[in-house]
Amino acid sequence: MQTRKLISGLMGATVLAAGFGATPALSADITITMAAPDWPPTRFMKEHFDATYQSPAGHNTVLDMDFIPWPSFYERVAASLTSGEQKYQMIVTDSQWLGAFVEGGYYMNLTDKIKADPELTAILQDLHPALVSAYSTYPHKTRAQLEEMGEVPGPGVNYYGFPQFPDTYVTFYREDVFCHEGEMAAFMDKYGTNLPCSYEDWQDTDWTKWGQIGEFFQRKAGDMLAGETLEDDFYGIAYQAGKGYDFSTMAINAFIWQKGGDIWDESKAPDAQAEGVVNSDIAVAAFEEYLSYLQYMPPVAQTGQMDIFVIQDLYMQGKVGAIIDWVGLGEPVLDPSASTVHDKSAFGPAPGTRQADGSIDRTGNIGGQPFVLTTWNSDEVVDEALNVVKWWLSRDTQLAATANGGQSGLMSVMADPTYNDLRPWNRAHVEMIDWQKDVWHVPDFFELLTQQQEEFDKAITGQIGAKEALDAVAEFQQELLEDAGYIE
Amino acid sequence: MADAAGRQGGFGAWLLDPKRRGALLVTPAITILFVMNIFPLLWSFGLSFFNYRANRLNVPSFRGLSNYERVLTDDKVWERFQTTAIIVGSSVLLQLIIGFLLALLFAKEFPLRRIVLMLVLTPMMLSFVSVGVFFKLFYEPTFGIVSYVMNMFTDDAFVTLATPAGAIAGIVIADAWMWSPFVMLLVLAGLVSVPKYLYEAAEIDRASAWRRFWTITFPYIKSLLLLAILFRTIETFKLFDIVYIITEGGPGSSTETIAVFLYRNAFQFFKTSQSSALAYIVLFIVIVLTNLYLYAVNRRAQETG
Repeated sequence: MQTRKLISGLMGATVLAAGFGATPALSADITITMAAPDWPPTRFMKEHFDATYQSPAGHNTVLDMDFIPWPSFYERVAASLTSGEQKYQMIVTDSQWLGAFVEGGYYMNLTDKIKADPELTAILQDLHPALVSAYSTYPHKTRAQLEEMGEVPGPGVNYYGFPQFPDTYVTFYREDVFCHEGEMAAFMDKYGTNLPCSYEDWQDTDWTKWGQIGEFFQRKAGDMLAGETLEDDFYGIAYQAGKGYDFSTMAINAFIWQKGGDIWDESKAPDAQAEGVVNSDIAVAAFEEYLSYLQYMPPVAQTGQMDIFVIQDLYMQGKVGAIIDWVGLGEPVLDPSASTVHDKSAFGPAPGTRQADGSIDRTGNIGGQPFVLTTWNSDEVVDEALNVVKWWLSRDTQLAATANGGQSGLMSVMADPTYNDLRPWNRAHVEMIDWQKDVWHVPDFFELLTQQQEEFDKAITGQIGAKEALDAVAEFQQELLEDAGYIE
Repeated sequence: MADAAGRQGGFGAWLLDPKRRGALLVTPAITILFVMNIFPLLWSFGLSFFNYRANRLNVPSFRGLSNYERVLTDDKVWERFQTTAIIVGSSVLLQLIIGFLLALLFAKEFPLRRIVLMLVLTPMMLSFVSVGVFFKLFYEPTFGIVSYVMNMFTDDAFVTLATPAGAIAGIVIADAWMWSPFVMLLVLAGLVSVPKYLYEAAEIDRASAWRRFWTITFPYIKSLLLLAILFRTIETFKLFDIVYIITEGGPGSSTETIAVFLYRNAFQFFKTSQSSALAYIVLFIVIVLTNLYLYAVNRRAQETG
């Protein structure tokens, strides 16, 4: 009797085991909580996920976005990670944060997963190398270093993130003002060069002309502008000059790189120095040029509070003719309920520095954000999160995202013939993305950034000169980076 | 026999015994106080002797008093204390002057007094963030009301926050706007407590207005004024929200108070141990000020008692 029970039990267990083995993996209820800044590109991701995502593994997957306002985004994410609450499975992160949170043990190294998965490898190979360099590698590898390796994934490179929203800055301008015949003729008379009206005109616009535009369009209330009498003061140009976060560094770095200067280069640690580089004569001249155009900008520039949101606001109020701002802030400009210039705006590449051969260098500091996975996820959640990555970076999803205020970092998608027509800034974005570099990724980035922003702010508000500011930045960075072991 | 009663009443009766009821009632409050205040205080005090950073995996090592030494020898810290002192001194002085004048106004009866009084009290009921945003917009040079009004007298936009002095003034005005009504309430309480017969007697003696104020009014309000000074000094010493919203500490670092500096070190730079040491130094200063405040309260109690 006992033997019969044992045999029937074993047979039952065998049948059960065989049954499970024959069916696909069991479907599970998986919730992926993602920390995300609250703005259109992430809102769309959530909407589109809910409408279209189907788990290839058959799971019931919920993407639970924790939308956090931009001004407190870093603090909220950092507080969550360092408190150990392990709330998030995925995080939309600024590229500068990679070092701080990789070293803290919070962001997952995806290198082995990418190498083991041909689909992820293909995505990485299709991503623009400037984005891979900025958004994914830690310790940081420059685009040149990655391209020298000749293979993707590169040997010895650690990959962490994929683009959630690759951003670049472009020129937003008032077509009704810049293409007004009277204004164009007056500009030509005054400066002997054309006022940029078409996209091609902006391709040929350098910083000198940017300054001329600023001077030309500085008008008082009661003056004429494009055939109409102004009710308020009007300004020709604005770019970021804010004390908060990185709201002047992003623009100033562009000037420094375009002139041939550099910031402290973490990819060359421990040999790269801060002193002598950060405050080189070239860097000082570049910073001086950046400062020289502030006089033509709205007076808020004098307070050091002209950040990316302030210039967007002033532009939407019709008080500025042209601004240089992130593509991610373009959507509200076209919204009739928010913008007085929704039907008058056009977009072009950002100005740059003219080189000896007549070409224009537009090197700039990349914006946007990658998303990463966290280290405490189970294998099941990691696999499903990577399925979400594949879904987001699939062709159809990327085209849908781009049509709804997002951008793609996939070269195959950007090469699509319909891409440039999906949104009015896409052509400029595709042109600008090739010029992008990134600021530091080391764990001490926030301290480096804050001190630099303070010194830049002193120069922007006229308390000190460009040389004094860069000398102070270089001295501080040299000391901090030596203490931290990044400079020998 | 007692055992038998205890057994009959069970655990509930034992717990609710009048001998234990007091302890039972305060236990939840003590527990919350310990978990939310005392434990974090002790923990951060311990951290201030290590080299711990919350965003690193490194095992903390004991550093003794070196964090305190580093903080106290850091020029930046002393600059921030200096900025804080300037803002505290200016703001509290302005609050005292405005609060005192408002109290003199509201000590008298006039039409719609109650409604006007209620409106004057509104600023101190608002959140710091709202006040910060209001004033940031007031000071905005392109469309802000300050620049708009000043434009009537000057041709150029008036840029309040462009200089360190202007930015400090901007913060002081916002803080004083918010908290002068609080000073007014305290002073008003003193003014209405002065017996009317003293003024009548002074009038018969033909005492001058100044003499009446100095010998009758001031003795009644002086301890309340001291309370107002101490209370507002303690609060303004911790000023964070308004500064962070209006100037973010700028231009440069000219309006960065010690509270903003502490926040940056703790939650942006993750210098956890070093910021704990600084927090304890700030706490020590606040405790000294609080003891002065308690001394003033006791003195006031003795005077009125």
